[in-house]
Amino acid sequence: MHDPGEVKITIGPQHPALKEPESFLLSLHGEKITASSVRLGYNHRGIEKACEDRTYVQDLYLVERVCGICSHSHSTCFVQAVEEIAGIEIPARASYLRTLISELERIHSHLLWLGVAGHEIGFDTLLMYTWRDREAVMDVLAAITGNRVNYGMNTIGGVRRDITPQHKEMVLKAIDILEERTKYYIELGLGESTLLKRLSGVGKLTNEDVVRLGAVGPTARASGWGRDVRKDDPYAAYAHLDFKVITNDQCDVYGRTLVRLGELMEAYSMVRQILQKMPDGPIAVKAPRKIPAGEAVSRYEAPRGEDFHYVRSNGTDKPDRVKVRAPTLANVQAVSKMLEGGYLADMSIVVAAIDPCFSCTDRLISVCDEDTQKKNTVSWESIRLKGIDWYKNQGIDFTYLNKKLARKF
Amino acid sequence: MTEEEKIKQELEQKFGFLKDTIAIKRKGRMFFDVPSEKFDEVFAYAVKQMHFDAICAITGMDIVDRYAIMYHLNRQGSIVLNLRIYTGKDNPVIKTVTLFFPGAEMYEREMMDLLGIKVEGLPEGGRYPLPDNWPKDEHPLRKDWKAGASKKENQNA
Amino acid sequence: MANAIFNILVFPGFLFLFVFGFIAEYVDRKLYARFQNRVGPPWFQPFADFVKLISKQKIVPDEADVAVFKLVPIFALTASITAVLYIPVWGNKAIYSFNGDIIVVLYLLTIPTFAYFLGGWYSRSVYSMIGAVRSLTQIFAYEVPLFLCMLGPALLADTWSLSGMVAFYNQHPGYWLCNLLGFAVALISLLGKLEKVPFDIPEAETEIVAGAFTEYSGRYLALLRMALNVELVVGASLLAAVFLPFGFNLNPAAVFPLYIIQVFFIIAIVSFLRTLFARLRLDQMINFCWKYLAPLAFVQVVINLILKGILPR
Repeated sequence: MHDPGEVKITIGPQHPALKEPESFLLSLHGEKITASSVRLGYNHRGIEKACEDRTYVQDLYLVERVCGICSHSHSTCFVQAVEEIAGIEIPARASYLRTLISELERIHSHLLWLGVAGHEIGFDTLLMYTWRDREAVMDVLAAITGNRVNYGMNTIGGVRRDITPQHKEMVLKAIDILEERTKYYIELGLGESTLLKRLSGVGKLTNEDVVRLGAVGPTARASGWGRDVRKDDPYAAYAHLDFKVITNDQCDVYGRTLVRLGELMEAYSMVRQILQKMPDGPIAVKAPRKIPAGEAVSRYEAPRGEDFHYVRSNGTDKPDRVKVRAPTLANVQAVSKMLEGGYLADMSIVVAAIDPCFSCTDRLISVCDEDTQKKNTVSWESIRLKGIDWYKNQGIDFTYLNKKLARKF
Repeated sequence: MTEEEKIKQELEQKFGFLKDTIAIKRKGRMFFDVPSEKFDEVFAYAVKQMHFDAICAITGMDIVDRYAIMYHLNRQGSIVLNLRIYTGKDNPVIKTVTLFFPGAEMYEREMMDLLGIKVEGLPEGGRYPLPDNWPKDEHPLRKDWKAGASKKENQNA
Repeated sequence: MANAIFNILVFPGFLFLFVFGFIAEYVDRKLYARFQNRVGPPWFQPFADFVKLISKQKIVPDEADVAVFKLVPIFALTASITAVLYIPVWGNKAIYSFNGDIIVVLYLLTIPTFAYFLGGWYSRSVYSMIGAVRSLTQIFAYEVPLFLCMLGPALLADTWSLSGMVAFYNQHPGYWLCNLLGFAVALISLLGKLEKVPFDIPEAETEIVAGAFTEYSGRYLALLRMALNVELVVGASLLAAVFLPFGFNLNPAAVFPLYIIQVFFIIAIVSFLRTLFARLRLDQMINFCWKYLAPLAFVQVVINLILKGILPR
């Protein structure tokens, strides 16, 4: 140690600020960060290698498990590449359905982020509120796809489930509630003084640095870098939708918050447009088991930024190479830059501000063979009732609250 | 003439050896191979003169008798230019592009770990994404590597 | 003698504070949860946590100074319990009272913070040490406004004894309204003292895990948490005695429920305040305390000095 006042502190791989294992080594002088380095790879699961030993359909579900939050992003990105190689045109309704799920996923991801950001700066009330509201969109996703995450919606050549008029109604109702809540959060974000104090001027990343370090998504858009794959390189049904790319010139964590809040509002309007414009028709076309030799690059605007997949096929039913570049990998290199000269206290929010998803980033262990076929199927309702009973036995009764909540929604 | 065709024409004019090798697969997707000795020139030209200002990713591949490295460059968010170079299996070496894109460091380190391709000019640094005790000569993305086959891996575990 | 032992061990000392601390923690947690639209814990949760922690394995880090590490929770607890003996709980008169006891109470309440500092520092973990240094830095921010705003009511009552102050304000109902500004300052400073949001910088979970308490486990952690609860109760009692003297001249059995209500009222304000804010940074907190809190406390002192000349005694 050259500097007697210097303290080295490791954040992670296990640390309350990080929701996933990742290690940051910070050198501190007092409360100021003088140097930082990142060590990634704790979540390396070998998915890219595993993809080469599986068929395209199996890969689709494997790729979906790259990330828990943006699962639909990865599976759509992958399936787009495969369809491009095979020359499959998917039906219009299927592309609208994919877009619908992807926007609902964006809503759920951004609300989740808002809560996490609140927690990182010690504002737990925001966490509790946003995560409560997030349940509305999670319920919708569960109703449409059967799952809260890892939706399993995509298949090569289209989607697997159609939506009913009841679903439509449910989505619109949830969107109305969420829109109102988001307006409240925007108002809160603009007015609450401790929030402003903790967010503005923190984790500065200039426009030049964004370009130099290749940051993507809301992180880049908050520094005035208006790149959005949905606009620049439209996929699915985005070419038919009317939306703005939200940018901000604050270049700090506050800007990133505003960009995400703005994107939430755009997402609500997009969901409404999708439901309005969605044509009737089939939801999938039959796809061949073997994909002809070829290669394709597919891009997708995940909630965290540009998701990039490269697929190379060799004429068999298994891909030759699958490359996944998750948005966090592009952004994580900007984190060191943002941490420079900052305070230890701001470290967690700066890291959180890129909405890191390290399991996405590391994607790649040999996946254990799992017996996915459960013998006993348990219905959703019976699980729920069991849970309620269990809590009642513990002396916690939600009946009253449930009624109250039901009235509110 | 579409923008893709303009790019194709410009590249072909500048670099004669690229004639008829540039494939436009669809709107915004261009693929072509570059001889590795000419790579620096073409890459620098694409980045500096043609304003391909972002790099989406670098993909390393094991193709039967050699390794291929594909650089996915991006302009204005819409056009992806995919340059591919090859390197032999005996001594796979490529040059770093971190001079153009500092952010590409992670993609290059990933290739070093997973495919065992040496990247010249990359400063010493930690491993990514494999653990520090992973055997030096095992590279999972090589086709001859099979999961569970490594005894060293089990010893270290 | 027997009386003194009863006072220290049972009422208003150890046992009373032990039980009251649990209730206070429950009230705080439940209100905090309800403000956040959550269900919150059942009433026995703090006690259950305590029992569970007591039965858990205790780990002392190899590098830690064992004696200091183990003694710290007891120091913290003892200081808070001692402080309560000078605060009027049963009736309008404290068990022990002399002119100047308010200063003793304030200093006794500083000891837990120093104890946390020592515990964190001698844990020899990076997180603990940073947390320890932060809690010591934070003292300089909130301690001055807290002391200053206690000075105001004392000046008006013309006594340095807590019991004397309570007696004075009971004789002159309505005079407590003069101290409302001081009360607000004291509440905010109390948040700093109790290390609660927005001033929970020393134990900022997402930065330094649990600050000074990071290495504590098992019964040491249980005692530390109890010390925190007792600190909450004693801090609230002190504020109740100085700023909310609604005891009138009733008999002690009638004053006691009033005292409990006052304490719960202050705890409720504390939990409400902590739902409203995000955690400040250390530099922002010190800025805030010196720029706004300390001057406001001064204003209170000046107001009371003027009022002292005007108001009839």
